Amino acid sequence: MAKTEGQNWINHLRIKWISFYLAGTIAISLSIAMVSTVIPFKLFKLSPWFFVPTFLVVLAILLLIKPIWKITIFDISRYLNNSYPELEESTDLLLKDPEELSMLQALQRDKVENILATIAPPRAPIKKLYTGLAILLTGLAISFAVIKMPQFKDTLPAALKNEGSTPIIKENIPVEIADFRLTIIPPAYTGNAARKQKQFSIKVETGAKIIWKVETNVAIKTLRISYNDKETIALKPIGKDGKLWTYAKTIDRSGFYQLELDGKKSDLYQITAIPDLPVTIKITQPKQHTTIDIGQPQKIDIKVALTDDYGINDASISVTMASGKGEGISFTEKKLSFDARFNNQKNISLSKSIDLKSLGMKPGDELYFFIKAMDNHVQSSRSAVYFVSIVDTAELMSMVGMTNGVNLVPEYFRSQRQLIIDTEKLLKEQSTLAPEVFKTRSNELGVDQKLLRLRYGQFLGEESETEIGGDHDDHDEHTDAKGEEAKFGDVTAIMDKYAHKHDIAEDATFFEPALKAQLKVVLTEMWNSELRLRTYKPQAALPYEYKALRLLKDLQQKSRAYVAKTTVKTASLKPEKRLSGDLDKIAQPTQKKSFEQKDQRVAHLKESLALLDRRKMGKKFTIEDQLLLSEAEKYIIEAAADHPGTYLNALTSLRRLSTGSKLNSDAIDLVQKAILKLLRPELPKPQLQHTLPAASLYRNYFNNLNKAGK
Amino acid sequence: MELKYIALLACLLLLIFLLYKEIKRANTARIFSRILASIIAVSCFYFLLVPLQYQSHLERKINEIILLTEGVNPDTIAQLKGEKYVLASANSNSKAKPIPDLVYFLKSRPEITKLNIYGYGLTDEELKFIKGYEISFHPSAKPTGVIAASWPTTLQTSELLHVQGTYQNANDKPIKLLLQGFGNPIDSLLIEANANKSFFFKDRPKQSGQASYQLIALQNKDTLAKETVPFQVVERTPMKVLILASFPDFEYKFLKKWLYENQYPLAFKSQISKNKYATDFLNMERFSLEQINASSLNKFDLLIIDEEELAAISPNERASISSAVDHGMGLLISISNQKPLTTLSARFPRYESPIAKDRQLSLTWIDDKFRFNKLPLEQTLFLKANANDQPLVADASGKILVNSTIKGYGKVVISTVSATYNWLLSGKTTAYATYWSGLLVKTARKQNAIQKVNIMPQFPVLHQKTRIIADLAESGKVPTLKVDDMKLSPRQNMELPFQWDAIYWPQNVGWANLSINQKVESFYIYQKTDWQALKNQHILQSNLQFIKNSKALSEKNTSTSIVIAKAISKWWFFIGFLLATGFLWYESRILNA
Repeated sequence: MAKTEGQNWINHLRIKWISFYLAGTIAISLSIAMVSTVIPFKLFKLSPWFFVPTFLVVLAILLLIKPIWKITIFDISRYLNNSYPELEESTDLLLKDPEELSMLQALQRDKVENILATIAPPRAPIKKLYTGLAILLTGLAISFAVIKMPQFKDTLPAALKNEGSTPIIKENIPVEIADFRLTIIPPAYTGNAARKQKQFSIKVETGAKIIWKVETNVAIKTLRISYNDKETIALKPIGKDGKLWTYAKTIDRSGFYQLELDGKKSDLYQITAIPDLPVTIKITQPKQHTTIDIGQPQKIDIKVALTDDYGINDASISVTMASGKGEGISFTEKKLSFDARFNNQKNISLSKSIDLKSLGMKPGDELYFFIKAMDNHVQSSRSAVYFVSIVDTAELMSMVGMTNGVNLVPEYFRSQRQLIIDTEKLLKEQSTLAPEVFKTRSNELGVDQKLLRLRYGQFLGEESETEIGGDHDDHDEHTDAKGEEAKFGDVTAIMDKYAHKHDIAEDATFFEPALKAQLKVVLTEMWNSELRLRTYKPQAALPYEYKALRLLKDLQQKSRAYVAKTTVKTASLKPEKRLSGDLDKIAQPTQKKSFEQKDQRVAHLKESLALLDRRKMGKKFTIEDQLLLSEAEKYIIEAAADHPGTYLNALTSLRRLSTGSKLNSDAIDLVQKAILKLLRPELPKPQLQHTLPAASLYRNYFNNLNKAGK
Repeated sequence: MELKYIALLACLLLLIFLLYKEIKRANTARIFSRILASIIAVSCFYFLLVPLQYQSHLERKINEIILLTEGVNPDTIAQLKGEKYVLASANSNSKAKPIPDLVYFLKSRPEITKLNIYGYGLTDEELKFIKGYEISFHPSAKPTGVIAASWPTTLQTSELLHVQGTYQNANDKPIKLLLQGFGNPIDSLLIEANANKSFFFKDRPKQSGQASYQLIALQNKDTLAKETVPFQVVERTPMKVLILASFPDFEYKFLKKWLYENQYPLAFKSQISKNKYATDFLNMERFSLEQINASSLNKFDLLIIDEEELAAISPNERASISSAVDHGMGLLISISNQKPLTTLSARFPRYESPIAKDRQLSLTWIDDKFRFNKLPLEQTLFLKANANDQPLVADASGKILVNSTIKGYGKVVISTVSATYNWLLSGKTTAYATYWSGLLVKTARKQNAIQKVNIMPQFPVLHQKTRIIADLAESGKVPTLKVDDMKLSPRQNMELPFQWDAIYWPQNVGWANLSINQKVESFYIYQKTDWQALKNQHILQSNLQFIKNSKALSEKNTSTSIVIAKAISKWWFFIGFLLATGFLWYESRILNA
């Protein structure tokens, strides 16, 4: 039957309908499957592959509910009849064989066909598709949110889990064990979730609880765990058939353990305990020693970075202020907290601005502070102590320390002090003075500052155009040297003729280099102050003046040697009476001691080293050798209990060596390496050298030589 | 041989039968061709069974042979023409005729006058017998490997093991030489391609008893050679020390403690007041130290004394010290003044040299350039070295601080370093131990060994003749020599009555115990393949030397001919057989049809 145009149209619509519906359904089921897998994935760490079966199941359910492939062209025509009145309920005619139609029916059919060409395609399937896509989008958004949202909380344990999980080590598991599982419950402070492993080697956080669950394939009577070869604990059977065993233990330190199934011992398994480290504190600001000069804001900004392996619980600043001087120093302690919340973060950067004035600090006081931090395992740590001091201007101005000693150059210091006083006075009177006068006085002060600077410059050997005494302009000596003709080729002589040579000014002073360096800093400060004074900014000059004064004071203190005034009179010695006491009754002490090496450890280890080397050559162990090896084994067990990672393999190899008869060079190497590590490096000890035997011949020869020489 | 005759007989019978058939045949056309073809076929068949050989006359030098020895290159063998012989000792799988014993072979072939030797050459034993022969030596390429090596086979506890030698690298690639002990790498050295390099490794072994280290040559990851370095560590002989101090001092206190804890017998006497002495006897029996005399000094290997005390004791005591030194005792004098107080200490001239302040004293051991940690001392007193002196310790600028000289049998050492205990205080135990052991070893009396054993060759090998040479302290009696449980018969040296030797053929690889008059010494028996490069190099050298020395007259070579049997390929006979039988078949089937 040739299909008419109308039938084609309807067929086409059906296919479109079905495919759009199908796409929509797939989108919906995708979305449902996604949301329903992402939640268990997040919560229970299910494999993301669960998505595929879920999706198929949901799709099947949806398709069963609405079997879209069952839509026939008749359904379509019914739908068309319902939704398009202009078709006049006659779409069915299109589906019938045109040859069977009556005349009237054929006419109506042609009409409907014409109408069909004009009507818009139905929007229902498109709508279905759009809804499907919309649901898919929502589903995507939801699952994305589910994955992302708890990540803020989860980052910490997730990262730790990677660290904490033990690397896969190949283990020898006793054949009797059918299955086993270790549940590790880390201590609460780590925030780590409990985990399971199918491996006997354990790497856990200190304080973690471990539950062993061992299932054997045959019923056994006893199952023991021996821990560090010292403690032996019998496991409890679950059930009566003796196949399921369990045991729990809290791990506080590294070590190793061994299973014993009805007396049959397993390999040694390693236990590594990862300790919780205290918070590390890094102070990035301020410097360890800070001095606040006059004019600088009296506050400090503290910037700290804290890091911990599990979480930081608390941090605070301990501040101690010292005020007063001499014997009257008083200390005040305070605890300042950071304005931050501690949410067991691993890293946190903190900052705090401390206003020294509000703490009650006066000039001359000192502040010591350190940061104290605590992690979530209540381990506290503290930083180094930092110092902040405020310069006391009053102290600088005081004459203490200058009045009671020899004062060689007092006027210079007084001058700097005087300059400060004058500047302050000028500033005070500024409002009452005419601007012209103010400027002149400021300039005069600047000139004074300059003079002072030049005077100090003299100490450094500076001489310049502006020297107080004027420039030296009489360099007659260069012209005087006419009488002596420079020798031909004498370069230095020629250079002397033209060069202006003095002593090297830098070295011509009495000061040490360190002192000179500080003096130079003083001069710079003075220069800065002079600049401000001469540009009529006395207020700005004041800090520099103070700083210069402070440095000068330091200098003055440095160059002073203090000698206490004492009037000690010692009794004069009488040499004839020295060492003339009666010593008859004084006994002469004699002592006799013998050093006994009680600990045979080193000797045993050294001997077993050679013994193992002999084994490498193929010699079998004798009974004494076995005894010696068991001694060595003791020491290795001790070491392995503390450092299982280093010594456990050696211990296993040693046990295999002492029992097995097969020669295994690698195992011997391993044990020897462990013993070498146990032995400290050998220190040189003096020993007698040997000469050749038959010395009597040589001695005769020597004696004869001696005789011949005489 | 038998096959040959059986085949001949069978073929003759076959031929007779065939000829009979041919003659009897009715058709006589081409009878001669057929008879000829039959004869050819049968004779070819015979030669198929028995290959035809003919005598070839080869020109050859009769009185000259080629002798292949160890290390000869297979490519060289292929190029050589002439009669080739190979020594049985050389494991070569060439086609050359093996000679089980060269001496016997040469005796049985007296016409041979010239030997062309290829490879590394002949052993010393064999070289002795080929004197008089004309020899042309074609040495192989230099062996790659350790060509010289030496180390002490017996160490005392805490002594350094020095392994030194030369590695010859004839390869085009660099080689890493590694010393390994107990599976641990100790030291390594890179040897460039085509270079000879001497190596020097040292280690302080930790074991007590016998052990063997390995010297491994590595090229990238490939192990080229792994040589055994066996040695044994024996208990040290402690030296007996006497310390006489004019006043108690930290230096003495720490030295006393260090010696005491290391279990050295030590007597310490220090003046604590006028004529009052404190005396300590550590790790030894108490005896009278009131007077220092020859008998009390005889108990000690070493006397440590300061110059003040040496000046303060009586002249008699000084004289006995001097004579004890003449008889071998060591004397260590510590001085602090520029002016010498006694004649014994005046043997070394001293001078003062001002030193910059805040300078720390950095000492160097002159022998091995060992640099000690710095000492916070301002040293101004130094020593000058005479021609017969051996300076021991100097500072960074080379000024001598500790000097030594020989006096009689003994040694006198003078030290100006006064406060070495600072090393102990600052935890530099190694520096302290190195300094004092060095000083004490240099000073102390040398003990006469009871015996000294030399083994020839340097590396005794399994099933090879080994000569044991023993020097004994007493020469009167015949010593009993035993290796493991086998008694050897010693032979006295005719010139040196204290020297005895014996021949031994080692039976087992590994340590063997040699007991001489109940005193046991160990020596190591190597595998035949151990230290191969070294042995090859030795053989090569001695052969070259031998060639250089031998002045054998080169006789004129006479050429005679020699007969060599050569076989003709069987294929020719097969073709002949095929053609002949083919003709017979063709003739009967086609030409007659």
